[in-house]
Amino acid sequence: MATVRIPTPLRTLTGGEDQVQAAGDTVKDVIENLEQNHPGIRERLLDDKGVRRFVNIYVGDEDIRFLDGLATKLKASDEISIVPAIAGG
Amino acid sequence: MSTSNPERGALQHRSALVVGVGGLGCPAALALAEAGVGRLVLADDDRVELSNLHRQILFDASDVGSDKLEAAERALYRLGARPGSIELVRSRLLPENARELVRSVDVVLEGADNFATKFLCADACFLERRAVVHGAAVRWQATVLTVADTGAPCYRCLFEDLPNGDAAPNCAEAGVIGPVVGFAGALMADRALSVLLGEREVFGRIVSYDGKTDRARSVAVGPRATCALCGADRTIDSISYARYTAPSCAA
Repeated sequence: MATVRIPTPLRTLTGGEDQVQAAGDTVKDVIENLEQNHPGIRERLLDDKGVRRFVNIYVGDEDIRFLDGLATKLKASDEISIVPAIAGG
Repeated sequence: MSTSNPERGALQHRSALVVGVGGLGCPAALALAEAGVGRLVLADDDRVELSNLHRQILFDASDVGSDKLEAAERALYRLGARPGSIELVRSRLLPENARELVRSVDVVLEGADNFATKFLCADACFLERRAVVHGAAVRWQATVLTVADTGAPCYRCLFEDLPNGDAAPNCAEAGVIGPVVGFAGALMADRALSVLLGEREVFGRIVSYDGKTDRARSVAVGPRATCALCGADRTIDSISYARYTAPSCAA
């Protein structure tokens, strides 16, 4: 099971949890597993072209755009971070 | 980074534009002024509000209702800015002034509270070949991206274009934690000083900070081949008003 860190705007979908566990061999699999347990989260992360342009997904310290995208392979110990673009200060 | 006496000498001849004198711009401007930057241009058109004070560290209760730029200028000189180093631009960054403003300095610090200004600043800096440090903070999360004067990778490589609807949070919706935005503003100044002193290793990296978990992550950003601003077939070659429309937040 990978650990997925959930940003504030998506915690309404995880019952307020800032991190959840999800199963899957790839990032895409993990998102599908997240969707089963937290319906609606997939739509916030993906559109018909892939990862939404205003979301960055990291595996450890690596942005999946510079790995294999949604096909990036995962280890059980991996931590996935979802980081949306933000404006404020 | 810290600045020694020789560096202060070098910084005397360098200039910076701070876009937005808010939670990010206040600590950033303070750090640049105290480091000895010779020309510090502040751009904003707001007045100080009570709700600003927990994070906009150049202001205190006596400034509430005052012009932000005048209050910031007073504070910066009081705290050690070089005499005559502060310039005030009583305006937001707008399509009609963006290119001229960024062209007039060596580095730009963009701490805007809305995406429209972020993209406008990114585009203007690319078109004028100016380095820019983009900062943002919402609740416990902050990001700082440093873009080279050569232009790539840029803000649009990461985020492409303005979000639609509720795709991305802003500070009005989510709130801002004072120390987190202070951290981001200080980091923006650190990156800007590095740029001003010719250190190029800061370019093309985004730092993400989570104040709740104490995690800071520095990631190298790759240029995106299809980027509309800096890609090979780029389509943005001017500032078009219609490209930048989105709400801002004043909270």
